[in-house]
Amino acid sequence: MSDGDAQLRWRTSRSPLGDRSAYKKVWELQAQDMDVASLAVAGHTDEATLELTARGTIDILRSTVGLSPDDVILEIGCGIARVGLPLSRECLHWFGADIASGMLRHAAARLRDRPNTTLVELSTVGLQEFPADSFDLVYCTIVFMHLLEWDRYRYVEEAFRVLRPGGRCYFDNFPLDTETGWKIFMESYSYPVDRRPAHISMSSSREELGSYLSRAGFADIRLHNLPNELIAVSGRKPE
Amino acid sequence: MDEPPAVSPNGDADRRVAALQAELDSVRRREAEYRAKMIHEFLDRGERNTYLHVLREERTALIKREQEASADLEILTRKIESAEARVLALEAELALARRPWWRRFLPGAAVDPSPQAAGKDPVPGAPFTYYLHTSPFRVYRDAVFTLRGWAWPEDGRAVTGVRVDLDGRLFVGRCGIEEPEVVARYAPQPQNPSPGFEITFETPPGRHSFSLEAQLAGSEWRSVMRTSIWCEPHS
Repeated sequence: MSDGDAQLRWRTSRSPLGDRSAYKKVWELQAQDMDVASLAVAGHTDEATLELTARGTIDILRSTVGLSPDDVILEIGCGIARVGLPLSRECLHWFGADIASGMLRHAAARLRDRPNTTLVELSTVGLQEFPADSFDLVYCTIVFMHLLEWDRYRYVEEAFRVLRPGGRCYFDNFPLDTETGWKIFMESYSYPVDRRPAHISMSSSREELGSYLSRAGFADIRLHNLPNELIAVSGRKPE
Repeated sequence: MDEPPAVSPNGDADRRVAALQAELDSVRRREAEYRAKMIHEFLDRGERNTYLHVLREERTALIKREQEASADLEILTRKIESAEARVLALEAELALARRPWWRRFLPGAAVDPSPQAAGKDPVPGAPFTYYLHTSPFRVYRDAVFTLRGWAWPEDGRAVTGVRVDLDGRLFVGRCGIEEPEVVARYAPQPQNPSPGFEITFETPPGRHSFSLEAQLAGSEWRSVMRTSIWCEPHS
């Protein structure tokens, strides 16, 4: 039997990855009604807590990448616009992109009084719907934990493309070396092997996040230990 | 003696810097507004630059090819049916010619070349506007086939039932399925606001006489179209 035959049989013997990569399917299912969607993306359902946690995220963005009233901002994986609603009051225009149209439907209801916002459904992993060199800031928060590493990097690469020269980026995830990070890890650990959900949270290391930005071409790469015990990485597209 | 007014030695410079800063801020804002507008224009152009758009274009091209192939098959089927009718007529003429000459003049001597002559009378046809999403002009490989399409009679009556007659076996389908794009294109049909239908019928091996039929206004049945079909399961 030749090596070529073995290669072919090996390729056909592989099992598919399952729904972990089927982000549209997974997140459309979680977006069926506002309460479920809110729980899925934020962990709670009341508007006051949404606003409070969004304020926390905005403070983190301000302290890590800075915010300007003239910023044109893109959020990757905006969900129900938890952050976008209050952030749109502090920037020129806020664009929210998500792979799940159901999430965007809830987001649109929450943003109905915000004319400087635009929602875009992503067809697949990536930002192909957006032109290059366009945004001042691209950020992605509480999303990487649900993505496979290759897809995380895809978004970092795409952020580089759609940012204008000098534009800033921000990505976060939970690490294993903080109490909060370990708690999230143990919650996922508690699932039986055969009942792990497709969206199960997976951590990032600082090295991983730094490598993504470095490989994508970003400059001024900084790693941040956030007050909420997550980690973040920020960078700037060279002029 | 009055003191001269207190003037900062850098007063003019400060004002100029402030004015320049304001102008710079204004330019930045206009540039950001331009970029936001550009993003919207890009989004308005739709999916032209996306992989999804490429896939949709490929799908459209494949559907067009399938439609062209179905149209070719329909032409071939009609040619076969025409040739067959001619063969039957010639065979009838030959059978008549082989009889003793005096029997040719007896009552009932003529032979009906129609393939339906031995069976029940076919449902009469009527002019319909129709389209079949799943063309019946194909070689049937599976045990069943679902015909989908839309139709309304040109006299405007309501379609109240649909069925397929396959060699005399009747398969009743479902009508009243919404076809918003068809209604938008052809104007609303008052008696047929939802002109879509679907019928699932069995496709046993062999050649069959196929007739798509519609019931009009709850009374008579009329044939929308009829043809021959060939069913050859995968071996």
